[in-house]
Amino acid sequence: MIKLENVTKEYPGSSVALRNASADIDKGEFVFLVGPSGSGKSTFLRLLNKQEDPDEGRIFVAGKDISKLSSWKVPMLRRNIGCVFQDFKLLPNRTVAENISFALEVIGRPRHVIKNQVPAICDLVGLGDKVDKYPEQLSGGEQQRVSIARAFVNRPLILLADEPTGNLDPQTAIGIMRLLDRINKTGTTVVMATHDRGIVDTMRRRVIELSDAVIVRDQARGVYE
Amino acid sequence: MALRVDYIFKETGNNLVRNPSLTIATVLTVAVSLSLLGAALVIQRGVDGLNTRFKDDVEFIVWIKPDAASEQIEAVDRALADSPQVRDHRFVNTEETFTEFQDFWKDSPEVLAAVAPDQLPTSFRVVPVIPDLAVVQALGAEFEGLPGVRAVDYAGEYIKRLNDFTRVASNIMLGAALASAAASALLMYNSIRTALFARRREIEVMRLVGATNWFIRIPFMLEGMIQGVVGAGVSTLAVFGLNRVIRNLLNTTDFRLFESFALDSTELFPVAMTLLAAGALIGFVGSGVAVTRYLDA
Repeated sequence: MIKLENVTKEYPGSSVALRNASADIDKGEFVFLVGPSGSGKSTFLRLLNKQEDPDEGRIFVAGKDISKLSSWKVPMLRRNIGCVFQDFKLLPNRTVAENISFALEVIGRPRHVIKNQVPAICDLVGLGDKVDKYPEQLSGGEQQRVSIARAFVNRPLILLADEPTGNLDPQTAIGIMRLLDRINKTGTTVVMATHDRGIVDTMRRRVIELSDAVIVRDQARGVYE
Repeated sequence: MALRVDYIFKETGNNLVRNPSLTIATVLTVAVSLSLLGAALVIQRGVDGLNTRFKDDVEFIVWIKPDAASEQIEAVDRALADSPQVRDHRFVNTEETFTEFQDFWKDSPEVLAAVAPDQLPTSFRVVPVIPDLAVVQALGAEFEGLPGVRAVDYAGEYIKRLNDFTRVASNIMLGAALASAAASALLMYNSIRTALFARRREIEVMRLVGATNWFIRIPFMLEGMIQGVVGAGVSTLAVFGLNRVIRNLLNTTDFRLFESFALDSTELFPVAMTLLAAGALIGFVGSGVAVTRYLDA
């Protein structure tokens, strides 16, 4: 599903963000990216949905070399990749239902599809009774559920999560991890960058560890260190 | 991809009302600059009309001295008839001159009362072959020195002066219009940039979930074009109003020379279309550059 071949990414004026990284992630895998801040986790994720382009090496997503993807095809790539962030990136002036339907509206999904999908996904993430609330009326955990619902409503092949539990207390984080686990069980490949030792050690999934822009460990059913 | 028309119109409408002061400022700037352009276009059409009206009328008048002998008048007549550059010439006697005089001063009976037909000079009205003012002036000078000739008058001279003046005026206006059109395109650019900034969170999400650049772009460009066309509409009304004022002025003063400056609806229509197209273009370019720069950044 995802394949990195000797990928190097440098940001001009700063140090190398990712050096000679290679990894192969199968369909339906759940992968943790761990490592200290600035070790290249976010760059790894940003390369996968072409928010960044590698300086060297090749990246394959669903069998296609996305480093050769022309810019007008990027939206189509991103429709297959959901994104979840530490800061949720919800739109404050839209309700839960509107935030989720926005993601479908802007890729031109017909109205009847939106009408069906949105309540269903709200139920799935456990927010069936909060569809008309605004983000500020929700707790952090609930907001992250909305953001996951938005990322997943289009049934992407891949879900990228950048520190999704970073702003949440441990109890709430567990709920979010259960949700991501359920999404993973539907066959969606999940790649999650995290600092959270407890979560990684409990879940016992594949761990890719980055240190100073280099992959130093790639371990099935791994722990944080 | 199905283009969601309802979505686009909803977003465009929201954008327009989200920042009303900037929207109004943009519309007014476009309106003012296009009003200048419209006025310049009307004047140019007026000048063109003036030129076509007087093209065939570039004649000159050879005034005969009141005391000229009839042989002298005949000599001038022969000289005019022999000149290959003169297409046509005609003697205007005192009675005819008086009739013209009466017509010209019909509103001032005291002037008419003071003048008798035999006090008026006779003249030759001369139509040259080449209706060009410089040629006509050279030609007229040939007859100026003939005995019995008092003076040579060129009708075209006034036209030319007027022409030069209006042309300069309309060019200055056109320059001002272009400068302010550039200003309104820049304001448009900033207006759309502000709209983009106000919606940066939405745009970020749109890009992440895979909205195409055109989908993001269209509501903003539509917003710019609506602002441009509304501004152009206002300027069109201003030009129509200006035209009405000119027409009324002409009707009250009976100053026929400027008749061609009052355009009729068939002449105003292309001016209006030009303004609307210019407004749409300002909106298109201003917003297009703003969105492209934002999305490429």
